[in-house]
Parts: sequence; structure tokens; C-alpha cells
Amino acid sequence: MHDGSGLIAVQNLTKQFGPVTAVQNLSFTVSPGSVTGFLGPNGAGKTTTLRMLLGLVKPTSGTATINGRQFHQLGQPGRVVGAVLEAQGFHPRRTARNHLRVYAAAIGVPDAQADQVLSLVGLGTAADRAVGGFSLGMKQRLAVATALLGDPQVLVLDEPANGLDPEGIAWLRTFLQSYARMGRTVLISSHLLAEVEQTVDQVVIISRGQTMYYGPLEHLRQQQQRRVLVQPSDVGALATALREGGVQTIEQLVDGRLAVSGVDSKFVADVALRAGVSVYGIQEEQVDLERLFFQLTSGQYAGYAPAPHQQQQGGWA
Amino acid sequence: MGNLVQAELRKTTTTGLWWGLLIPTVLVALGGGLLTGLIGQAFVDLTSSADAEQLSDLIGVTPDQWKFSLFGIARSINLTTMFPMIFGALALSGEIGRRTITTTFLTAPSRMHTMLAKLLVYAMWGAIYGLAIMGFIALGVVLTSHPGQLPDTGGWAMLTLVCVISSILMTMFGVGLGGLVSNMAGVTVLLIMYFLVIENLAQFFLRLSGAPEAIVGFLPNGSVDGLTGSVVADLFLAKAGVVPEEAVEVLRIIAGAGGAQVWWLSGLIFLGWVGLAFGGSWALMTRKDIT
Repeated sequence: MHDGSGLIAVQNLTKQFGPVTAVQNLSFTVSPGSVTGFLGPNGAGKTTTLRMLLGLVKPTSGTATINGRQFHQLGQPGRVVGAVLEAQGFHPRRTARNHLRVYAAAIGVPDAQADQVLSLVGLGTAADRAVGGFSLGMKQRLAVATALLGDPQVLVLDEPANGLDPEGIAWLRTFLQSYARMGRTVLISSHLLAEVEQTVDQVVIISRGQTMYYGPLEHLRQQQQRRVLVQPSDVGALATALREGGVQTIEQLVDGRLAVSGVDSKFVADVALRAGVSVYGIQEEQVDLERLFFQLTSGQYAGYAPAPHQQQQGGWA
Repeated sequence: MGNLVQAELRKTTTTGLWWGLLIPTVLVALGGGLLTGLIGQAFVDLTSSADAEQLSDLIGVTPDQWKFSLFGIARSINLTTMFPMIFGALALSGEIGRRTITTTFLTAPSRMHTMLAKLLVYAMWGAIYGLAIMGFIALGVVLTSHPGQLPDTGGWAMLTLVCVISSILMTMFGVGLGGLVSNMAGVTVLLIMYFLVIENLAQFFLRLSGAPEAIVGFLPNGSVDGLTGSVVADLFLAKAGVVPEEAVEVLRIIAGAGGAQVWWLSGLIFLGWVGLAFGGSWALMTRKDIT
């Protein structure tokens, strides 16, 4: 049986669909107690990877395990891992409650669990309505409810925000974070970093089926050098004073401002004061994770052979 | 395994398909039964002539005692068991088409367990359909037939047995084919076309070509029809007095058992076809990437 660790381990995973390599030698681990974002542009191989992890797609090579076991070795998988996947269907004429009662029976949990998870996702009042009349957001909530039926240790969600309204997204964010705080494992995929930025603690970023980065989101933020954008009265004098102060990376922008890297705005303002240069405007540039994400994943459809990337933990690829 | 069987059972009872197909099934069964009786009566009227009296003197049984209702019962069973077969075919094709197969596989210990659970549940549904079919055919026949043309208690029991077996096997055959042809409309049309048109044409041309009649009994429709047809032919002949050898084969063809083996062997042959369809479906479903 499985080891109950809540650990997801993907090792050298590769999937070939005919001539197309959907996933290539992918490796990462996801630990319990945190929400991990699985990020990459559309077509990067996220869905295929998650489906290999969940035993729905057979890997060409490599392994994907949950609790140290492949999906088909989990025994009662519904009690170990719950999943919300894209293109996960519902019978249109089955009610939400009946849908859940079907899978409650399969997992072996009491029928009362169906009503509990319906209330949890906010569908309590729609329990006896046929799913065919549900909005996309309601279907997504029902998919989450299905994933939660077995009270699983691991949650895997593929683009769960699709179709959810802002209220639903906020609810999901809070829910997933509290779920992870209970010591459980949450892996959530998205093609938009901004969509999950406030939810995740760790990220796995893939592109072209390969891992580009994995580690804490905070490390990713820190690796983006901060810049101070300053509008001085005398650009040359301030640049000279900054170099004398040990600052190496100074760049003049097209709008006449200086972009100073590696220091904070207080340092730049103090140097300007000592140099007798007036400062008309100063600001620290915000960390733009989205731009960073784009740099990591760009070129997927550029039409040329991309340079090989080496994956690394907690750093740039 | 019990959990999955319960889940599969709930899948069938929480949508309207089971009764949506059961209604036309029992209507066709009732219609078949009524028609059987009416045709039997017409036959008795037609044969109340001097020629028929001569014939009945020869074989020792009067036409109104011939169990003609048996043939109609066999043909009605063969026709109506197509409904549970379609019900079975939509078990897997419906799940694939609606993509509920993803959640089904995510909540099952293995795909093999899912397939086995489906097989058990649909076999049970096949039996329920079989009993309903036999009940409504019997109702129709009893309402319109001359009492002398009806089977005796043993005959009814035997007919009920082969009807239920036939219905179970047809349902399981449908489940198997539904896994191989995952398009709901496609598998439905394919099954209807095959059992109503394609194999009948094949049987016709086989007979025309002079091929051994026994080949027909090894075809899917030929074998499942032979399961009921052979019983009917035996029941009829047991009460028909002396029937010339050449007339026996004609009667077996009328009963749907032309070229067929004895009933239990015909059942085993069709079970082989069920095994082939289900085995193929099993092999495909356990390896298929669910994308």
C-alpha cells in the first residue's frame, strides 16, 4: 500500500503521442502542507502530466507517484487523491446529489458525505437540479465537490479557475490554502501565473514539456532584481555619484530616467542629496512575476529549436 | 468490488435510460405477443379445410393443437432483446462520450474493477429486461391465442429461461461493443444494422451459395437466435406428431434456429461472441489513454 506521506513525485516523465512529445523528461516533487502551482502556457504538457499522475494516461517512460505508489497501486484512490480535471464530464440528466452519490458509493464513503461536500462548495440549494442546467462555474464547483468526496490527502486541480466567477475564485483560493494548512498536498495547474500567484507557495513552471523552474514562489520573486527608477535634475552627475558609491548597474531609459539595480530608493535619494542633484521623481519597480513567467516560458511556439534548458531547484533554468 | 457494483447500479438508476428503453421493449414484446396469437388464429382458420384434415390425419395432430404461438414467441424474444443490447452498449460508450469515464476511473481501484462491475450490473439488467420481455410477450399471446396453441407449463418455464439468458447475453454483448465503438449513436446504429440487416443478408447469401447451413449457427445473430429458436423448435416438434424430416429444417428456420446447434450449445457459441466483444473492449479500455 501507499506510504501516506502525501508526497507527489514525478521522475523523468516522458509522454509521446505519435510524433509529438507532449512531456519530456519532467521531474519535480510536491510536498504536503503547501499549495503548489503547476504553471506553463497552453500546450506545455500540464494536463498530460497530471493525467499521467492520475493513471489516465500511460507514460512513455518515467514514473509519477503519489504517496510512493503509482495511481493504480493506491488501492482506494478516491480516498488518497481527489482531482478536478479539464473535460471531466457529468451526465446532464443526473442531479448533483445523485452524481455525488454514485461516486460516494464507488469510493466507499457514506451518502451523507455527498450533502456535506455540496454545502462546502456552495451548491447545497442546487443539489436536486440536473447538472445539464448548471453554469460552467457550478459544474466546476461540483467537480471540486467530487474531488473532495473521499476526504483525500492529495488534491490535484487542472485549471480549476476556468468558469469560476470572482467570488468562486476567492472561495477556491481560501479553501485550497486552508486545505494545505491541514498538512495536505495541493497541486494546481494554470497557464496564468497571476491567476494563482496569491494562492500558491511553490511553483513548478514547465514549457515545451520540460521543467523550467521549481521551488518556492518567494525565491522566484527574490531572483528578480529590484530596480529604482529615478528622474534627476542632472542624469550624468547622479550616475557618476552612484558609480562612486559602488553601484554597477545603471541604465538610462528612453524617457530620461535612470534605472538603478541592486539598491533601494532610500540609497539612491541619499546619494543624490550628497551630490547636490535634485530628484523630481523616484519609485521602486514592482516585481513583475508575470514578465518573469513569460521569460521562462517564451519561445514555445517561436518556430525554431529552443536552446536546451537545465532544470534546477529553487533557481533559474 | 461491492462498492463499484453499487456505484454502477446507481449510474443506471439515476438517469431515465433504463425505463426509457424498457417502455418500447415491453410495448414491442406485447405487440409481438398479440400478433403471434392473431397470426396463429388466422392459420387455424385457413387450415380448417379438407387438405388440412388429410395432413392432420397423416401426422396425428389437428391444426388447432399445433403450438404455432411458439414461433411468434421466439421471434418476439429475438427482436426485443435488441433493446437491452442497446442499453448495454450505452454503458461504456455513454461514459466515454460524456467524459464521465474520467471520474469513474479516478474513483476505482483499477479499470479492470470498473469493467467487471459494469458486467455484473448490466447482466442483472439483462435479466430484468428478459423477465419483462417474457412477461409481456406471454400476456399478448395469452390474450389472442387459441388455448391449444399455447405451450404447457414446462414450455413456458423453458422459454422464460432462454429469454432471460438471451437478454443477459445480448446486454453483455452490447457492453463489450460499446467499449470498442465509443460513439453512442455509432454503436447503436451499428448494432441495429448488424442484427436486423447485415447478418440476415449474410445468412441469405450463405444459403444461396450452398454453404453448409451449420455456418449460420456460428454467427452472432444466428447463435443467439438459435438459443431460443432451438428450444421453440423442440417444443413444437414434441407436440406436432410425425413431421417429415425435410419439414423439420423449415420449421427450425421459421423458429430462427436454421443451422443452429442445440439451444445450450447455441448459447455457448454466442457467449463466445460476447467474450470476444468484451475481451476486445477490456483490452482497449485498460490500455486507452483518457485525454
